[in-house]
Amino acid sequence: MNIVVNGTNRAVESPPLTPLLHVLREELDVLSPKAGCENGGCGACTVLLDGAPRRSCLTAVGSIGGAAVTTVEGLGTPEDMSAVQRAFVHYCAAQCGFCTPGMILAATAYLERGGSTEVAAISEALAGHVCRCTGYLKIVDAVAAARDGDFDLSTTAESPHTTVLG
Amino acid sequence: MAIHIGRGIASIEYPTGMNQNGDPSQAWIKVKPDGRIDVFSGTSDIGNGAKTIQTQIVADTIGVPYDWVTFDNSNTDSSPVCTGTFASRATFVAGKAVLKAAQRVRERILEVAGLEMEISPEDLEIADGDVLAKGAPTKKLSVGDVAAAATWGHGELITGTGAQLNPYAAISDPTTGEVDGVPHAAISYAACAAEVEVNDETGEVRVTKLTQAYDVGKAINPALVEGQIEGGAIMGLGLGVLEDSYPYYPSAEHRGDDFGSYYNPSSADLPELHNIIIENPSADGPYGAKGIGEMSNNAQPAAIATAVHDAVGVWVTELPITPERVLRALDARAAGSGPRREGKHVIFDEELSINAVGSGKTWTAGP
Amino acid sequence: MKAVGARLPRYDGVGHATGRTVYVDDVRVNGMLHTKALRSPHHHAGIKHLDTSRAERMPGVAAVVTHEDVPLLTYGHLSALGIPADEPLLGAEDVRYKGQPIAVVAAEDADAAQAGVEAVDVEFEERPALFDMRKSFDADAPRIHHWGAVYPHFEGEMNVRQIRKGDIERAFEQAYKIISGVYRPAAIEQMPLETQVGLSVPEPDGRFTIYSCTQALYFSMGVVAAHLQLPLNKFKFVGGTVGGGFGGKVDTATETLCTLLAQKSGRPVKWRWTREEEFLCSSTRAPWHMEIIDAVSADGWILGRKMLTLHDAGAYARFSPYGVTKHSFHHTGAYTIPNLHFDGYVCFTNRVPTSAMRGYGVTSVSFAVETHMSRIAEELGVDPLELRLKNANRIGDTSPNGITYTDPSTVDVLHAIAGATDADLPAPYRDASRDRRAGEWLPEHLVSQLSDSEGH
Repeated sequence: MNIVVNGTNRAVESPPLTPLLHVLREELDVLSPKAGCENGGCGACTVLLDGAPRRSCLTAVGSIGGAAVTTVEGLGTPEDMSAVQRAFVHYCAAQCGFCTPGMILAATAYLERGGSTEVAAISEALAGHVCRCTGYLKIVDAVAAARDGDFDLSTTAESPHTTVLG
Repeated sequence: MAIHIGRGIASIEYPTGMNQNGDPSQAWIKVKPDGRIDVFSGTSDIGNGAKTIQTQIVADTIGVPYDWVTFDNSNTDSSPVCTGTFASRATFVAGKAVLKAAQRVRERILEVAGLEMEISPEDLEIADGDVLAKGAPTKKLSVGDVAAAATWGHGELITGTGAQLNPYAAISDPTTGEVDGVPHAAISYAACAAEVEVNDETGEVRVTKLTQAYDVGKAINPALVEGQIEGGAIMGLGLGVLEDSYPYYPSAEHRGDDFGSYYNPSSADLPELHNIIIENPSADGPYGAKGIGEMSNNAQPAAIATAVHDAVGVWVTELPITPERVLRALDARAAGSGPRREGKHVIFDEELSINAVGSGKTWTAGP
Repeated sequence: MKAVGARLPRYDGVGHATGRTVYVDDVRVNGMLHTKALRSPHHHAGIKHLDTSRAERMPGVAAVVTHEDVPLLTYGHLSALGIPADEPLLGAEDVRYKGQPIAVVAAEDADAAQAGVEAVDVEFEERPALFDMRKSFDADAPRIHHWGAVYPHFEGEMNVRQIRKGDIERAFEQAYKIISGVYRPAAIEQMPLETQVGLSVPEPDGRFTIYSCTQALYFSMGVVAAHLQLPLNKFKFVGGTVGGGFGGKVDTATETLCTLLAQKSGRPVKWRWTREEEFLCSSTRAPWHMEIIDAVSADGWILGRKMLTLHDAGAYARFSPYGVTKHSFHHTGAYTIPNLHFDGYVCFTNRVPTSAMRGYGVTSVSFAVETHMSRIAEELGVDPLELRLKNANRIGDTSPNGITYTDPSTVDVLHAIAGATDADLPAPYRDASRDRRAGEWLPEHLVSQLSDSEGH
């Protein structure tokens, strides 16, 4: 069968019930989706299928039909990042980075479907994505600001949650 | 049913570096022929930002722009010993090693520049990638030109090594715990105020706000310090009200084996956070920094437990403070339970004590 | 522009945001084998019989490693700190926790490796297990560790970590109240998003390149070198980019066995733990049991503390004695208490061995001490902020083991919290400082603990 990954038509040899995560990582060398749990629980393997977030570990490759698969490699490059990617850099929203590809894709889909930039709404929308490092606040702030799009990447955003005493 | 609001505080301290010290970190730095800097450090970056922090330290210590510095911690063939990224030591101890290596590189750049400029190195300084004559800043030579002169003219590699090791503080008297030296690299301090809502029908505790103050000595990168404070806050929240590897303790059965059955905090648990960063420089840390990574999840559980007491009047001292534990404590209080009072003794939690559960040891206020 | 103090973006931020950061699981090597482990299904059992010959003949299986293949089976990760070795790399005569590895199989793919594991013939003899550390000292407790119920190798071959300071009996005699409490934080998971993973590649020159998620490259290299009884120049550890650690990746969980399998098969060997293995078989933060008995004055001074700590090490010592020692050094929290009697024990149970996690040794005592402080404040009717400011460490005070505090900031962080929460502190507390004690801040009971010097 053939699937479309980040705009490129790719031939797939794996049987149709193979998890899409396995096809992407082990057959097609698309490495940004991470095998965090392979059980649908962490969100690190999230990809977009025609723009909608899916857990690629629970998605049989044979079930996606002609849907376009997007990973963060397809969202932007280091030289030309998407608004959400730039927001994650500017807000220091990644620490170890392992959950970041899934978070960015979920946030991208959330904003594209018109999601609110209220903190509570973003927190609820991303609640299925586990991050053990950040405490989520910088992720939520990044998503809330991402629609503005234009960030100075030579520095990071001042935090409205912080007071510095001498 | 009613929602009760409660507040509690906690104040903590935490050592930087391995307990008793004795944990070396080393680094070496070389300069490319155009003045760009390569740092080799053995410090793993586990998300804490060691790559960023150590690069910042090197850039400022030598006097070159941040983006002139590349950082390589990728392997043990090129990088020297680092005891590791734990014990809140990556900024203080390992950072001190790269700082010392950078100081050596800076000295050698000044020596070579001195030869080229025919000015004594003591009369030179480095800023923004240029070597300048002190007091006569028009006399300058770029670090790139100095590195080129070293490479092509003097036949020399400009390089420097650095190592940091606080000597091991042995326990000199095991009966008292006395040590023969200082057993930490520094001590950091923090305090936390928690606000909670407790539902007296379901027993659910919701942490609504954490206000936290940390003395980090010097925030080498405030965004990364915030990352530690915020990440630690949510981990401390998990420890306080959610997480348990053995939910039927002491039984070792029925453990959570995936994200559906182990209760870790999600973004939906995110309370309002207020971070306060205090910079009281340490005597020995790089630019006055102290460690912050680990202590950031230590203050919340007690602040939360105290806030729960403030809200509904019960002390839950087994973590996590689950709905079941809150409801059982409320039931017990309704049945009249409380600490046992005898003379000047006030004895809480007797049922949890080794005196109540074990038969081989007792623990009392007696001598 | 100065870099230090600036809010610079992460060095690796763009790599993270674009999915280009390379973690161990992203490394691709030709001819790589995959690993599965035979793990104990029992909490405590003797191994009566172990035969891997059928597994070795399974299709796709390239190598099987058991305890017989390990040059140095039992190596103490902290032997340099005087903690002797007790944990075999692979179970040999017995297994002491559910999930303990007994044999590892490397095969062409994970399914073939799992089939190999299932073809290992093994027979157990179940033994009684112990899970409640409060029963470790009981005469009828099952014997679960060859060292006995508790760790017996603290300095002077003591089985307890002790702190003694001042005159505890006098403090209790002088007390207005004596307040006791018990504090029991649970075991929790480090839970990094990247599970334990390693890849060992045999090189043509006889070296091994080991891709590792360790938090400590040289430490883990030392562990592998010790088990294989080879010098450090036989190994190149590649890592430094870790998908979360929180203490659990100081364990060197996969690297040694991958390398033994690579040595035996002559092929690159990878082992990525499943999430289930990460939850059930990797170390946890320890459960702790702490009992505090404090002698306090009517106006809120802590005169003395008696404290018992039990630390659940799980089945083997790992870093636990280190953790309890660190705990003992900090058992007064951010306060100066002149009279102390502390006993800390490392108890063995049939749990997965506990290990380092963020705040190791001190997270527990911070919870116990601070909750106890809140109770004391409540019991005495003293404001909890004032109670803490009163007893806070100050310059010239001494720690439980006699070290002089040089620049404690407890007063500063409490003032910051008071300000942020609009607490109304009376003047003496508002004006308190870290400065050396004098006047009302130097009651009689704190005089003898003061250091003559300003510290080191």
